[in-house]
Amino acid sequence: MTKQRTKSLPIPPQTGFVKILHGLIIISLSIMIGSGLQIYNATPVFGGKNGWTFPKWATLGDWLAGGRNWHFTTMWVFAFTLLIYGIYIFLTQRWKRKFVSGQDLQALKVGQNPKRRTYAWHRLVYTGIIPVLLLAIGSGLAMYKPAQLHWLSGLFINWQILRTVHFMTVPISLLFILVHIIMGIRSGGIRLTQSMFRP
Amino acid sequence: MSNLNRRQAIQLLGMSSIGYLLGSCSNDLTTQVGNLSEPLNQSFGELLVRPQHLIPNFSARAINPKALLINTYDLTPEINPINYKLVVDGEVKFPTELNLFNLKKLPFASIIMQHVCVEGWAAVVQWGGIRLRDLAQMVQPKDDVRYVLFESADKYTDSWDLASAIHPQTLLAYQMNGQPLPIKNGAPVRLAAPIKLGYKQSKWVTKISFVSQIPKGGKGYWEEQGYEWFAGI
Repeated sequence: MTKQRTKSLPIPPQTGFVKILHGLIIISLSIMIGSGLQIYNATPVFGGKNGWTFPKWATLGDWLAGGRNWHFTTMWVFAFTLLIYGIYIFLTQRWKRKFVSGQDLQALKVGQNPKRRTYAWHRLVYTGIIPVLLLAIGSGLAMYKPAQLHWLSGLFINWQILRTVHFMTVPISLLFILVHIIMGIRSGGIRLTQSMFRP
Repeated sequence: MSNLNRRQAIQLLGMSSIGYLLGSCSNDLTTQVGNLSEPLNQSFGELLVRPQHLIPNFSARAINPKALLINTYDLTPEINPINYKLVVDGEVKFPTELNLFNLKKLPFASIIMQHVCVEGWAAVVQWGGIRLRDLAQMVQPKDDVRYVLFESADKYTDSWDLASAIHPQTLLAYQMNGQPLPIKNGAPVRLAAPIKLGYKQSKWVTKISFVSQIPKGGKGYWEEQGYEWFAGI
């Protein structure tokens, strides 16, 4: 048993602070997606009033006003969690080593070690989701206050493009969650996944 | 390996159960969640409304009449423009009644703005009419006035914060896309402002009251059913 343990990869220690932020992101992103699909259903982005709508089990808030209640409450939790995480990785200098690096890209190009390649792929993927989450907030804010923040909504050219961009962050996030779970297990085993949830 | 897969499956089940629990939340909780953030969201909205901060006009080429859907909660009232009267009252120094002829004597203003519906669609529209602030100047609201109530011929009601109502781009429109305002769009007179959602923009307006308090149950038709009151965009 002891022998086996020394063989497996060391599990990176997660600080309690990061575990809390990670948990908050899981909860708030789930609420944002569920309530967002509720809002989507009032006028589908694709096909307008005659477009396909999401089934009720995928939505949160019972009706449009309810979905908006959840969406415009949880947006603060979601945005501030990301902001606090940003300040944290900046102050602790973690941004220098936690995200995808030139070495990772090198490993992907010429590396032969499959473990190293999986690790590099995973770092690339979870670095890539950060701009997507920021885009979700930016495009969301542009739709929430399109007149007052006209300089922001103007970046998205028109309303339909703005809605499409905001919506596309949903399938991208869902795909990311799936890949993140699988690659986390492949690079560090279930113990790596557990290390993010266990107190 | 199979052991690992089982644990994986259990974890995934745990995650999807979060969604299930949230999905089956009662309507009550949804209302409470809304009440929790409404003061914060309202303050944020109020912070953005500044009288000197004008929303830039859209270009005339962006006007898309087909995109402007018609949402009406009940009947479409037919109003004879000759008999039409707009009552302006409340806590004001000079309450008044205006017919269309007198209303159109006030300075004309035009905007090309994006009409944003709470349902998620939007349409660029040109509106022409008078500024609500000019009307306010005429009747002189008293110092403690904070809200403006609107009544429509179809019994639709709404209420606004004073700052948004007297914003220079808040119009009482009688013209749309260069033509006289069609009946289905609110003729003879409707609200049009780039800074509020569509359900705040009452059609067929017949009465405007400047008040210091919103009477109980008088926030507005949709607001009383659970839609956000401030609804600034």
